[in-house]
Amino acid sequence: MVTANETMRINLGPQHPSTHGVLRLELELDGERIVSCRPVIGYLHTGIEKSMEARNWLHAVAMTDRLDYLNPLGNNLAYALAVEALFDCEIPERAVVARVLLAELTRINSHLVWVGTNAMDLGALSVFLYAFRERELLLDLFEEMSGSRMMTSFIRPGGLQDDFPDGWMLRCERVLQELPPRIDEYEALLTENPLFRQRTIGIGKLAADDALAWGVSGPLLRASGVAHDLRKARPYCGYERFQFRVCTATAGDCYARYQVRIAELRESLSLCHQAIAAMPGGPVRTADRKVMPPLRAEFQHSMEALIHHFKHYTEGLRPPAGEAYVPVESPRGELGFYVRSDGSGRPVRVHERAPSFANLQALPSMAKGMLIADLVAIISTVDPVLGEVDR
Amino acid sequence: MTAPDFVAAVPGAVHSVGRDGIDTVHVESTQWTELLRAAHAGGYTRFLDLTAVDDPRRAARFDVIATLHSPAAQRWLRLCTPTAERLPSASAIWPAANWYEREVFDLFGVRFDGHPDLTRILLPDDHVGHPLRRDHPLGDEPVDFTVTRETDAPW
Amino acid sequence: MSTSGAAAATDGGKSGSAGWMLSRLQDWSRENSLWPATFGLACCAIEMMATAAGRFDLARFGSELFRASPRQADLMIVSGRVALKMAPVVKEIYDQMPEPKWVIAMGDCASCGGIFNNYAIVQGVDKIVPVDMYIPGCPPRPEALIDGIIKLQERIARGHRR
Repeated sequence: MVTANETMRINLGPQHPSTHGVLRLELELDGERIVSCRPVIGYLHTGIEKSMEARNWLHAVAMTDRLDYLNPLGNNLAYALAVEALFDCEIPERAVVARVLLAELTRINSHLVWVGTNAMDLGALSVFLYAFRERELLLDLFEEMSGSRMMTSFIRPGGLQDDFPDGWMLRCERVLQELPPRIDEYEALLTENPLFRQRTIGIGKLAADDALAWGVSGPLLRASGVAHDLRKARPYCGYERFQFRVCTATAGDCYARYQVRIAELRESLSLCHQAIAAMPGGPVRTADRKVMPPLRAEFQHSMEALIHHFKHYTEGLRPPAGEAYVPVESPRGELGFYVRSDGSGRPVRVHERAPSFANLQALPSMAKGMLIADLVAIISTVDPVLGEVDR
Repeated sequence: MTAPDFVAAVPGAVHSVGRDGIDTVHVESTQWTELLRAAHAGGYTRFLDLTAVDDPRRAARFDVIATLHSPAAQRWLRLCTPTAERLPSASAIWPAANWYEREVFDLFGVRFDGHPDLTRILLPDDHVGHPLRRDHPLGDEPVDFTVTRETDAPW
Repeated sequence: MSTSGAAAATDGGKSGSAGWMLSRLQDWSRENSLWPATFGLACCAIEMMATAAGRFDLARFGSELFRASPRQADLMIVSGRVALKMAPVVKEIYDQMPEPKWVIAMGDCASCGGIFNNYAIVQGVDKIVPVDMYIPGCPPRPEALIDGIIKLQERIARGHRR
C-alpha cells in the first residue's frame, strides 16, 4: 500500500503497445505524476557493428537497412556517402538526384508511419489506417524499383543498385500528386481537434538550450525553435540546388513536433517533385570499377566487366585506409556512419551515430512532472526507432 | 582548412583534416579533459557521438573518438585519443556524453572516471565480456553442412 | 491441461458423435478468432502493422484485435530479432498467455537468427518458446504473414492445440 508521501515504482515496457518498440522505462510515480523516468535500452541490441566487422563492406549495406527500419534508404545513403568519402570517386549526376528523391520518399514514408502511430497512441485509430494506406502506395513504388518493399539496399557505395524501371518516374509523380489532399485529411482530423490539442499542447516541453545540450537533432530540435537541418547546414547529394525551407516551431511541446513533421511531409513532397523534374539521364553507377561493377548488359562484350562483377560480389569493396563520417538528415535527426578502413576488404570499424539514441536521452527531462498518459504522447513525438538506438 | 582556435592552447594537440572534411584533433589521454574543455569553450557545445576503435596489437589499444558540433560556426569536430583502459568522463561538460560513455564501457570495457552511472546499457547487466573488442569472438553459431576449403568434404 | 476436463468430454470420439461435433466447434471458433498479442520487436513489426492496416486487413481472418495484455491473447507473433536482453521477456510473455496458445515466428530473425549470426541475437525464438509456424522473409510480405496465419488456422482446425 502506498502512503501519502511514498512514490511508486512501475515498469513500462519492454512489451508495451505504446513504446514504439522494445523500450523499457522505469518510472517513479507520485500518483499519476512522473517523478523520475529512467529509460532502459538494449532489448534490441543486435551486434550489427560487430557483424559488419566480420563481413565485408558490401554485406554491411544489407545490414544498414535494418538499423533504422523506417528509413532504410536513408541508412543506405549515409553509409554510401561515408564509404565514398574513403574512395573519393565520382558519382554520376543521375544517381545523385535519384538519391535525393529516394531519401525524401523515405522521409515521407517515415513521417506517415509517425503520424499514424502517434494518432493511434492518442486514440485516433482512423489516422493510422489512412496513413498506412498512403504508405502502401510508396511501398509499391519501392517494390517495383528494387524487388523489396522495405529493405531495398538500393543506394550503395558508388551509386544505385540499378536504374529505375520504365515509367517508374511517371508512376511516382502520380502517387505524389495523390498525397497532398490526404495530408490535408490528416490535418482536418487532428490539427484543430480539441482532444488532440489537449493531449499535446504544453506537454513534454523541451527548451532549446536543453535540446542542444543533449545533442538532440531532427524534428525534435526544430520544434524547440532551433533551425538546424543538415540538408542546409552541411549539404550532401546536391541539396543546395533544391528549394525547400527548414520547418521549425517555437513551443517545443508535442504539438509543435506534430506541426514540424506535417510541414516536413509537405516540404518533402515538394523536394520529390523538384528531383523528378531535375532528373538527368545517364548512368547510375560510378565509372570507377573498383567501387561498383558495371551493369549486367556489359558482360556480353567485356570480359573485364564479368571479372569486376565476380570480384565485387564475392570479395566486396576495398576502400583505401582511413576514416570518414558523413552525417545526413534522417527523419529522426543527424544520422551518420563513422567508418574506418585498413585497406583490406573487411571494415575495421563501422559505427552508427543514431539520432534516436541522443533523442531518447532527453526523454527523462521532458517527462518529469507529466502524467503517464502524457508520457505516451511524449515517447511518440520523440519518435525513437529502437533498431538504431540499440544497434 | 585552418585549425579551430582552441587547438593551439592544448599542448600536444595535433590537427588534421579528414577525408570527409572534418577537423580532426589527436591528443594523448593525459590531455583529454583539457582538450574537451577547450573545445566546449571554443563553441563546440553540441556533443554528437562517442565511440571507440580497438587495435589489440597496440598497448594503448583503444582509440576513443568524440564527435562534436559548433552551432555558431556550423563546424563539425572529431577528437581522438588512445587509451589502454580508462579516460576521464566528459559527462560533466556535456550531459549528452552520459549514455555514449556507458555504451563504450559496455562494448569495449573502457572505464570513464567521474561518470555518474557507469553500468552496461545495451547488454544484460550480468553479461561477461566486452563484445566489440577485436579479440572477442563473434559468438556465431556454426552453420550446419558448411563446407569450406579447410574442411575435407566427405565425397 | 486446463481444458482437460472439457477435452475428455469433447475429445475426438466417433465422427458425427456429439463429442466430435463439440470438438470441431471448439477448434473452428479458436481458429477463426486468433487474437495476437502486440509483440512487435523490429522491422517485421512494421510489416505486421501493415498487415493489420487497410490494404491487407488481418481482421477479416479473425484477428480483429491485437491485445496489449498477453493474458487476453492466444497468438504470439514474434516479429523481429530477439536480443539477449529480450529473451527472458519473450519467455515471460509466453508464460503469461493462457492455454491454448500458439506462436508464429515471423521473419528470418525469429525463425533462425536471420542475417545476425552473432553474440547478441538468439538464433531462432524456438530456442525459448515452442513455435507452431515459421514464416520466412526479411521482412516477409504481408501476404506471407497472412499465408502463415491461414496455415496455422488449418492446423488448429485439425485439432492442433497447446
